[in-house]
Amino acid sequence: MKIADGLKIIENGWIRKPKGFRVRFHKQTETGIEAGLSPPPGTAPLDSDITAWRYAWKLWKATQTESETGTPGALYNITVVDDQDHPFRFYGTGEFKTYNPKNIHGGDGQTTGEVHT
Amino acid sequence: MNNELSRLHRLGEVMTQHGTQMALALALLIIGLLVARWIDKLLRAGLHRLMPKSPYVTIFCNIMYIMLVAAVIVAAAVEFGAKPINMLRLLTITTLVIIGLLIFLRPFFPSLPFKVGNTVKAGDLLGKVESITFLNTRMRTFDGKTFFVPNRQILNEIVINYHYTQTRRVKLNVNIRYDQDLLKAKRTLEAIMTEDPRVKTKPGPVVYVLNLSSNCVELGGRCWVGNKQYWVARCDLHEKTKLRFDNEGIRFAFPQLDLHLNTDPSRTGGSGCPVPGTLTKLSTRQPEDEENV
Repeated sequence: MKIADGLKIIENGWIRKPKGFRVRFHKQTETGIEAGLSPPPGTAPLDSDITAWRYAWKLWKATQTESETGTPGALYNITVVDDQDHPFRFYGTGEFKTYNPKNIHGGDGQTTGEVHT
Repeated sequence: MNNELSRLHRLGEVMTQHGTQMALALALLIIGLLVARWIDKLLRAGLHRLMPKSPYVTIFCNIMYIMLVAAVIVAAAVEFGAKPINMLRLLTITTLVIIGLLIFLRPFFPSLPFKVGNTVKAGDLLGKVESITFLNTRMRTFDGKTFFVPNRQILNEIVINYHYTQTRRVKLNVNIRYDQDLLKAKRTLEAIMTEDPRVKTKPGPVVYVLNLSSNCVELGGRCWVGNKQYWVARCDLHEKTKLRFDNEGIRFAFPQLDLHLNTDPSRTGGSGCPVPGTLTKLSTRQPEDEENV
């Protein structure tokens, strides 16, 4: 095996390099809860996970009042996903993280705050 | 005396014959120049609003202004009595001479190694070139200051033009303590760079052991990123390195100097006070050794 082939194997198999990041969330609207991504699909994703996590945290903080009252505009399950829509680990702890988690399908117990899963 | 009187008489005659034409031509020249200036201002403002980042706006506006001024001068000269055909000839000859000089002598003119819109470092000044004139270059630094730098000074300085390079190398220098797992630190640092989407795969990131210095092992991470992403990528990689090393339990080193007191009475003269020359030992050590002292 040539060095170039070996390097290709390493590139594909060792550490996956995401092509970009988006913030995924559930948004409370007048009619119910909708899933969303920011930046939306079809637009350029963020190229930095640090920027994406900071953006997610600010979204959570900015909608905290709505989340507590459950009014339209509230954002739940705010997390960062990669280009394949897989949750991306928080760079600060190396673990998965969700701001303002809420069980959307089960419909029970809303909790505010951070959670590591 | 007679000469002066006759000269004044002739001047009076000229003024009688051509005074109106002269006044009209002068008025036309002044009003024309003012209008040209006003049109130039309007054109610049409009085009800058339409194409705020285009470097061709200034060039286009300069050409338009020169043409307007030339038209005003020609109109004033014709009003004064010059023949339009002669003025046209003069204008054509002047234009051709200027173009010829520009084409043939351009290689011999000292030219600046950048264009409007480039990000350059000239001497100690790092910023974006906003405009270039014959005398100076207007640069806007990243902290918002505008500098007017004489071109002759720029030509004497070493200039770095960041516009020509598509990629730049990021240096991640990290110092770890001697008792830390070197291989783990190398792997972690390489992983941080590899998983970042902005870091280029060719050439890929590399980690070197740069030096075994007196109080730390110096690691150097090297990777390449796009020129426009350089600054943010560099800061992000440093932030991630600090946090990931903390999570992995790899401890950074920092310079320190320890003082060991020799308490042996035979060497301290019985007073407990150290004797000069024998009393202290200076060494470097890690902070957790302090607990064992």
